[in-house]
Amino acid sequence: MHKLKEAGKKIVLFVGRLTLQKGPDYFIRSAKKVCERTDDVYFIISGSGDMEYSLIREVARLGISDRVFFTGFLRGDALRKVYKISDLFVMPSVSEPFGITPLESLVNGTPVLISNQSGVSEVLSHALKVDFWDIDEMANKIISAIKYDSLGNCLKGCGKEEVKNITWDLAAKKCINLYNSA
Amino acid sequence: MPSVCFYFQVHQPYRIKKFSFFDIGNDSSYFSEEGENNLNNRFVMEKVARKSYIPTNKILLDLLKKHPEFRFTFSFSGVVLEQMERYSPESLETFRDLVDTGRVEILGETYYHSLAFLYSKEEFRKQVLMHKKKIEELFSFKPRIFRCTELAYSNEIAKEAEKMGFKGILGEGVDSVLGWRSPNFLYKAKGSKVNLFLKNYRLSDDIAFRFSQREWKSYPLTAEKFASWISKINGSGDIVNLFMDYETFGEHQWEETGIFDFLRALPREVLRRRDNSFSMLSECEKKFPVRDEIDFPYTTSWADMERDLSAWIGNDMQRDALSKLYELENDVIATEDSNIIDCWRRFQTSDQVYYMSTKGMGDGTVHGYFSPYNTPYDAFISFINALNDFKLKLKAINKNNYAKRY
Repeated sequence: MHKLKEAGKKIVLFVGRLTLQKGPDYFIRSAKKVCERTDDVYFIISGSGDMEYSLIREVARLGISDRVFFTGFLRGDALRKVYKISDLFVMPSVSEPFGITPLESLVNGTPVLISNQSGVSEVLSHALKVDFWDIDEMANKIISAIKYDSLGNCLKGCGKEEVKNITWDLAAKKCINLYNSA
Repeated sequence: MPSVCFYFQVHQPYRIKKFSFFDIGNDSSYFSEEGENNLNNRFVMEKVARKSYIPTNKILLDLLKKHPEFRFTFSFSGVVLEQMERYSPESLETFRDLVDTGRVEILGETYYHSLAFLYSKEEFRKQVLMHKKKIEELFSFKPRIFRCTELAYSNEIAKEAEKMGFKGILGEGVDSVLGWRSPNFLYKAKGSKVNLFLKNYRLSDDIAFRFSQREWKSYPLTAEKFASWISKINGSGDIVNLFMDYETFGEHQWEETGIFDFLRALPREVLRRRDNSFSMLSECEKKFPVRDEIDFPYTTSWADMERDLSAWIGNDMQRDALSKLYELENDVIATEDSNIIDCWRRFQTSDQVYYMSTKGMGDGTVHGYFSPYNTPYDAFISFINALNDFKLKLKAINKNNYAKRY
């Protein structure tokens, strides 16, 4: 991975259970579109789940197995390292009550692309957003974030500032205030 | 004794449609959104004409007929005039009726409502001359006073305006520059002979922004109340410069807020009080003395709390977009192709980078309201992809021309 980065290649990351609800299949189909347009981008899929084998087969069928890496389930330091090495984190969830991984990514300095269908998209303003089914738009935003440094920098800088204000302490205070005002 | 100087800015940009990275090289129309949404320039023009321009023009014409003392000032961008010609001839016709009364002044500005001043003086001058020609053509009027896009102002801009023959210029009444001085007098620019008109932002924003805010302590704002504030200036000011977007009437402040009734009643209420009057800006030069010279060493604007240019060049995306755009100047001009040059200049309209502003919280909500894009990031993506497509087209044309020549 480090060698790829040194060669100027970019990395796009998916983290989550490999199951229908998380939309990894939409991620792969967007990856295919991006690969058709540029040789500079590689994809990491981190996680395990019932769709793992079918996803690996799908990547092979699309002819992009040299561009998509499956890491299996990661946690702790290993996961942090993957966040840090990536240039964009994508959460294409079909259904997601909240979705805490984009916040983890931003804390680690990596900008995010999230689906409009996730709860976190109501909280984060400094994120790229897309409907999970719109793979053309997902590919457009992935490639734009990768190709245009100023876009990535703004997302990273503002996003990192924004997540500082999303804390359990503040959420708890808000909740207590609601009880007190009732 | 204060004389009320209304100046209304009339402007609509050519908004760039959603332009994907995958459209680069495949689609060369950038301003042609056809869906019923706010990226469709025809759709927006027709909506604003119906809600704001046509009804407000009618009210102002009635007021001019009713009150011989009533007068005011407009500034039109060239690109809004073009769009009126194409999409709303009725708007243009009614604006002409107002100007024909002889009691409405028109200011000079850049044709493309651009910030070219910051990047290329030559390009800036070309756009100012283009605009002058358009105004003479449509209104048979020669602008004497200049206002730079977004009320951008500095000593340097004043000097440039003077070189181009303008006698006066507009600026924001920025507290940090004015210090103890009031915006309610006529001033002179430092380093040139042009007169300086400074916006009274408190009274201007009372109408433009606060008019319909229920939590504002002075809500609801009536013409009578506003006229009494104007009269309070008596003795401590010669002029009150009320500068605002013309779309304030009917578009930013909807008809339901009562803004039209307010406007209808205002001249009567102002004139009912002793010694009050209305002036076109260039009349002030004859009526009132210049009180002082004011030094604006850096560029100010009428936006946000900071009154600087940070809404347009505040983040990396905005600076990147503008520098990539203006570095094409020589190649674009070399084509001698009027469509290419026009297209490049439409990208320069300040709104394009304003939509990319990521300025937070209080200001951010204002920016959000005025943007047709979901996020500033979406605005940047469409802009930069369209610009990259334009670059390909430009390269092909120049290569072709070169081959023909040699």
